[in-house]
Amino acid sequence: MSHKPEWDRTHHAKVATGIGDPQCFKGMAGTPKFKEGDRVRIKDLPDLFYTRTMTYTRGATGTIVKLVYESPAAEDEAFGNEDDPEWFYSIVFSQKDLWPEYSDTYSNDTLETEIPERYLEKA
Amino acid sequence: MSSSTRDEVLRHLQTVGQLQPALHYQTHAPAPTEIDHSLFRAYTRTPHDVGGEYDISIPYHEKEEEVWELNTFATCECLAWRGVWTAEERRRKQNVDVGQTVYLGMPYYGRWLMTAARILVDKQYCTLTELHNKIVELRERVAAGKGLGEYLPPKNS
Repeated sequence: MSHKPEWDRTHHAKVATGIGDPQCFKGMAGTPKFKEGDRVRIKDLPDLFYTRTMTYTRGATGTIVKLVYESPAAEDEAFGNEDDPEWFYSIVFSQKDLWPEYSDTYSNDTLETEIPERYLEKA
Repeated sequence: MSSSTRDEVLRHLQTVGQLQPALHYQTHAPAPTEIDHSLFRAYTRTPHDVGGEYDISIPYHEKEEEVWELNTFATCECLAWRGVWTAEERRRKQNVDVGQTVYLGMPYYGRWLMTAARILVDKQYCTLTELHNKIVELRERVAAGKGLGEYLPPKNS
């Protein structure tokens, strides 16, 4: 008798094949908390073990330009946990709000990136 | 134990010694009270590819992908298609789990390739003993002048 634990190693492929990822999580995140045009501040949540929410966006304020998709947050997906998808938002920041030393010459520069809902609070 | 092995081991120990002092003061076995919040956060930071790192400017070099790099990429994508890992699991293993020193010090596709081997061991597709035995087998094959084996080009069907 084998002493190996058994689990379904192809679970994700079964869920996503023919549909795509993150399309396979569509409709699973419930009602989004924010909408296009909302100003939001990025929370400085713990970054222990894994995150993809950039350190340089934490504490900064940006504008939601699009609700992009539903997906498990990176913190869950990175360890194979896919049961709790949430909304991802595309957010635009002014570069000058992110980098204290950013040149006035390029004060119109922006940065757009995707961040899961758990990191957002109304600004 | 052959002397060339000892040479390699001692050279390895010296090289590792050069990698260690990421903080440029004595850091071994600190008392818990010596780790304040800033240091704790710095030690537990997760290396990542999302940008925004403070560094000196690095010259940009255009580099064409090598065959082994393309094969590594294809292997990792196949592991995803077969459900062995998701892209996020792969990123965690190749960016974070390797630690900051390896993240910055190893070539990009070198980390991909190491991680492909790692996931097979972690998820018990092969044992570490089997992997080590394979490495020994290949070392002996190369030492005997037989090369690493046959390279099979991709099929166009």
